[in-house]
Amino acid sequence: MSKIKKIFTDWKVILLIVLLAASFYLINPTLQDGVAIRGVADDSAAALATPQPVPVPSPDINPRDREVIRTIDGQQVSTQQEYFDVIEGFDINQTITLETNRNTYFMTTQEAFDENGTSLGVADIGLNVMDRPKSNIRLGLDLAGGTRVLLEPDEEVSDEDLELIADNIEQRLNIFGVSDVTVRTTTDFFQNSFIIVEIAGSTEDEVRDLLSEQGVFEARIANQTAFSGGDEDIRRVCRAPECSGLDTRNPCREVDEGQWTCGFFFSITLSQEAAQRQADLTRDLSIVNVGGTQYLSENITLFLDGELVDQLRIGAGLRGSPTTDIQISGSGDGNSEAAARENAMDEMRNLQTIMITGSLPVTLSIVRVDTVSPSLGEEFLNEALIAGLLAVLAVILVVTIRYREWKLSVPMAVTMLSEVALILGFAALINWNMDMAAIAAVIIAIGSGVDDQIVIADETLEGDNRSKGKSSWKDKLDKAFFIIMAAYFTLLVAMVPLWFAGAGLLRGFALTTVVGVTAGVLLTRPVFAHVLSVIIDDKK
Amino acid sequence: MASRRRRKKKNKDSRQKSNLEKTYDKHYKLLLIIPLVLFLLAGSAITYKYVNEGEFINRGINFAGGISVTLQESATVTPEDLQVQLREEFPDYEINYRLLGGVGGAGQDVIIESNVQPNDPQSDAMVDRIIEITDLADNSVSVERIGAEFGDSFFRQMFTALLVAFAFMGGVVFFYFRTLIPSSAVIMAAVFNIIVTVAIVNALGLQMGTAGVAGLLMLIGYSIDTDILLTTRMLKEKRGDVNKRILDAMTTGLTMTVSTFSALLIAYLFVSSEVLREVALVVIIGLLVDVISTYVQNANILKWYLEATGTSR
Repeated sequence: MSKIKKIFTDWKVILLIVLLAASFYLINPTLQDGVAIRGVADDSAAALATPQPVPVPSPDINPRDREVIRTIDGQQVSTQQEYFDVIEGFDINQTITLETNRNTYFMTTQEAFDENGTSLGVADIGLNVMDRPKSNIRLGLDLAGGTRVLLEPDEEVSDEDLELIADNIEQRLNIFGVSDVTVRTTTDFFQNSFIIVEIAGSTEDEVRDLLSEQGVFEARIANQTAFSGGDEDIRRVCRAPECSGLDTRNPCREVDEGQWTCGFFFSITLSQEAAQRQADLTRDLSIVNVGGTQYLSENITLFLDGELVDQLRIGAGLRGSPTTDIQISGSGDGNSEAAARENAMDEMRNLQTIMITGSLPVTLSIVRVDTVSPSLGEEFLNEALIAGLLAVLAVILVVTIRYREWKLSVPMAVTMLSEVALILGFAALINWNMDMAAIAAVIIAIGSGVDDQIVIADETLEGDNRSKGKSSWKDKLDKAFFIIMAAYFTLLVAMVPLWFAGAGLLRGFALTTVVGVTAGVLLTRPVFAHVLSVIIDDKK
Repeated sequence: MASRRRRKKKNKDSRQKSNLEKTYDKHYKLLLIIPLVLFLLAGSAITYKYVNEGEFINRGINFAGGISVTLQESATVTPEDLQVQLREEFPDYEINYRLLGGVGGAGQDVIIESNVQPNDPQSDAMVDRIIEITDLADNSVSVERIGAEFGDSFFRQMFTALLVAFAFMGGVVFFYFRTLIPSSAVIMAAVFNIIVTVAIVNALGLQMGTAGVAGLLMLIGYSIDTDILLTTRMLKEKRGDVNKRILDAMTTGLTMTVSTFSALLIAYLFVSSEVLREVALVVIIGLLVDVISTYVQNANILKWYLEATGTSR
């Protein structure tokens, strides 16, 4: 059969094509410009839009699924500069139309005030924007810009406490409207624990201020402090199943079409002083009746770092009573029972976390901060792409000159580019962040690919000169792959210690390298060998 | 009659050797002196440095702690002037600048580095001053701050990782060849590469940070690649005499080296990212050293081994 047919009927080639198509689909590249929505600030014009508020993107969203702005008040918006120009020209209380690729929203601009109540003119409509992502590959801080902070507890903490602290930080950042934040815990070689906070597209100051403090929690009744966070007032916040969880007195039920609600509760133990304070504050309140249950006329409002986070009703039985054991209850909604239950549990967890604030076991030190400006990141990215292509060309040139066989160039180029495509597709699949270390890893993977391809080409084109007479393709490839596998295993084991070292900062590097060379050794390089076997005439 | 037959057999595989080659065959063991001397020089340079300065490499701020500010455009002030001014205002700290990027880098990116520790309030003052003096917008400035303790711990870990990786790789090599001397020769070549490359990096006054250590890892992998190629060709090919096999391995290996070299050279010249350039530079130096370790050291050790065990012609 013809050579082309021979190439494409090999199962490896078919598999490679399928995987490449899958990678392409996962990566979903586009060349279009645009402005995408990164976040929506609470209580802003956008959050109060009709017919529905502008949705806040979930932190796990695929980059290409972000909502893209098309026009504002009929004006095209395709760059961030255009966006800012348009919104600067608004008046107070103006109704504007925001059209995105999903929906059309109507909103009214608000007025901004400073802390003295003086008007500052029209307020920002509350959208946090970014350049439209050109692919589904998440760009790490090095390439997209942002801040990474590494925190270390001042004393040894248990894993549980570490998680608690991490949750707390995430909670506080969310309250401040910082979306697009990831907080994770990690341990290094020497058993030191760290918390890594990564915030895309933000500046350093906001983050550092926030993180270097413990966080202040306050509960107020009728605008007076009832108790604050910290174990002086709050002795214990229950997280165990006996005293927290779904509330059986407020069970999951459907309140409306497609609207479910589930109640939760958890108990806390106050100190005597705090209990007394609470009793004093509630003594003079009157009782109201809401939905068959009796509550006090004032709610208890919860503040975190000065921001209001929640308001809860106070059960009538607490009036004037200095009980130290208090039950906090609330509810969560959803459009199915399962969703409502999950929301309720999330709400509960958040509240628990907030109340524990200020009574965190340790303070944290900032041991490392990296900020990368988005423009620097973009510069790196562009350079990496250009340099990458040039490097591929250089390698092909060297090899083609050496073996004097032009037929090598296309297969080599295809092999190298396929390996990059597969690595990127994998990265898109597992939502992996591409940062500078990942790029270095791609380089190593491609580099090993080049070496392997040379070994294969060498054996294919000149192996006959070395051994007595002609050996079969199988023998030649066996020889080549002996060397290739040895090299593969050494590289593989070298990546193992990197997984554990350095507060996990090099994990991306190790994983990307392993994925790249494995895909190479198992698929792309055998394909290369197969293609060579077809297109190189062995008439000798 | 017997001798004639033997001679005929030999003619198929042996060839006329040039005088140079004959000299080589006689004295090749002397060639091993070159890498030995280099290794001793490199080793003593590093030891000397360690004894004098307490370090065997120039630690970048990644390992020593400090701040690093990357400025994206050349603003109203030249880097030299900026450095002078900063040194005047903050006399207690080391302050240095480096230019980033080569051909194709947008403008002249500048990095200012200082050993002022992040929890020292002066570090904030310094960053603010830099922004003031250069009059750059907030988002053209990138800052890295690393505490010395963390940097130190990080360094020790990277170093340990390097050693562990080395040990693992050695294990794989032994497992593959199962003979003591050839496997050891491969490991020795890798050790040679690391020591000499580090010595050269130090001699050039360059810093080695995380990226550099990653480069060293890549180098070990690469060096083992070329040495495995050499060893496989020399031990497993049954035809052609030893010298021919060495030459064959060399041509293939050098192709690998030259292509990797060109690719990295491009990366080094075109990319302004410090991380990538550090990796590229370490590996470029390492590749040059690898040529010696593979074809001067390893090849001749193997030749010696083959002759001693009577398997060469």
